[in-house]
Amino acid sequence: MLLATYDLSAFVSENWRELLDGLLNTLKVSAIAIAGALVIGLVLGAARAHRIPVVSQLTAVYVEIVRNTPILVQIFMIFFALPQFGITFNQFTVAWLSVMIWGGAFNSENFRAGFGAVSYRYREAAYALGFTPLRTFLNVTLPIGGRIALPSSINTYISVVKNTSLMYVIGYEELTTTAINISNLTLETLEALTVLGVVYLTIVWSLSAAIRLLETRLALPEAR
Amino acid sequence: MPDWAGPVARYILEEGLPGTLRVSAIAVVGSALIGIVFGTLLTIRFWPLRALLRGYVEIFRGLPILVTVFIVYFGLPAITPQLRFGPLDAAAIALVVWGSAQVAEATRGAVQSIPHEQHEAASALGFGWVGRHRAVILPQALRRLLPPFVSLLVNIVQNSTLAQAIGGIELLQAAKSQSERLTFYPPAGIGEIHAFEIFAGVMVLFFLISFPLTRLAALLERRLI
Repeated sequence: MLLATYDLSAFVSENWRELLDGLLNTLKVSAIAIAGALVIGLVLGAARAHRIPVVSQLTAVYVEIVRNTPILVQIFMIFFALPQFGITFNQFTVAWLSVMIWGGAFNSENFRAGFGAVSYRYREAAYALGFTPLRTFLNVTLPIGGRIALPSSINTYISVVKNTSLMYVIGYEELTTTAINISNLTLETLEALTVLGVVYLTIVWSLSAAIRLLETRLALPEAR
Repeated sequence: MPDWAGPVARYILEEGLPGTLRVSAIAVVGSALIGIVFGTLLTIRFWPLRALLRGYVEIFRGLPILVTVFIVYFGLPAITPQLRFGPLDAAAIALVVWGSAQVAEATRGAVQSIPHEQHEAASALGFGWVGRHRAVILPQALRRLLPPFVSLLVNIVQNSTLAQAIGGIELLQAAKSQSERLTFYPPAGIGEIHAFEIFAGVMVLFFLISFPLTRLAALLERRLI
């Protein structure tokens, strides 16, 4: 019945401003969360791979909690439960914070595996050359292990972008919330869903293509 | 235990938990059945069907699951009113679509990892395509599918909370409505905020379900590979 009135170009030309704002919010939240998840992943992944006491165990607890509970419950915890203790964030902050915490947990596993895969003989060679442990990490473990971890960490970033759609439940006006809100007013449901599908698939497929490209370009010489 | 905790816990476990379990059960069984068939068909030589299934897998693995939930809950009834589902069923269908795409990709990999000699030997014994896959290839491939399948189970149980976004009563929605009820003045509520305790309880519940399963998946991964 609504198929007969399906008009994607009219929908886009009438609502492109709101949709663009929504997309920009999605990209903004994703960019902040990905940058944060990268830092969290590098630091905590290194702590885990090198078994730094206390930090390593705390990271393990953090990772297990995030991995074994639904991200939607985590979002509710930050948005609905923390205000009980006077800790209130606006929707934008909850949006990037919750996906950053989520992505950081998965990313620290990615980098733990990557750093752990760096052969001990490389580090021994660096120590033999008089490198301090920190210089050894920065000059040997990070470049090699980072390359090993890159594809899986980009996969985590793809999930981060997809998870920003969950901000619908807290009413943050990113792409999904914007499109669904418009369709609730105009009843152009199928057009709104088409826009969502096209935009998300474009982002996700581009990032997947980037992984495949990077996997061949950045493969370690030994693995070729 | 404070007085309010009993009725809240009872509501969440009696009204919410069945919703979560129902969505998860439908999603797991549906994903496995459809995914294994699609994944096996992804290895055949007839390219138009392969391309069609490849498109299905790439689209529904690529979309945020919430968008798939909206496609089922808002999109299908817009095409024809017969396809109107309740929130829990819509979430379950969306998770079947997403999960079957995941299982299909894993099955394709597992089937293709079976050496070609197995196919040839089965053919030489007179098996047709269906018999060959049912009796020889899939029993071996399914063993390798076990670890990703346990991970899928964890993901499905966790993602069943997406039903909350469309108003389905599962664990998270039950918890939310109870934490809202408590903030009302008597007789409905007690005029207090206990959101943290309630959502923390739900978190613990999910953790208790997920943690043993993620351990099991890691164990299976080490044992089977």
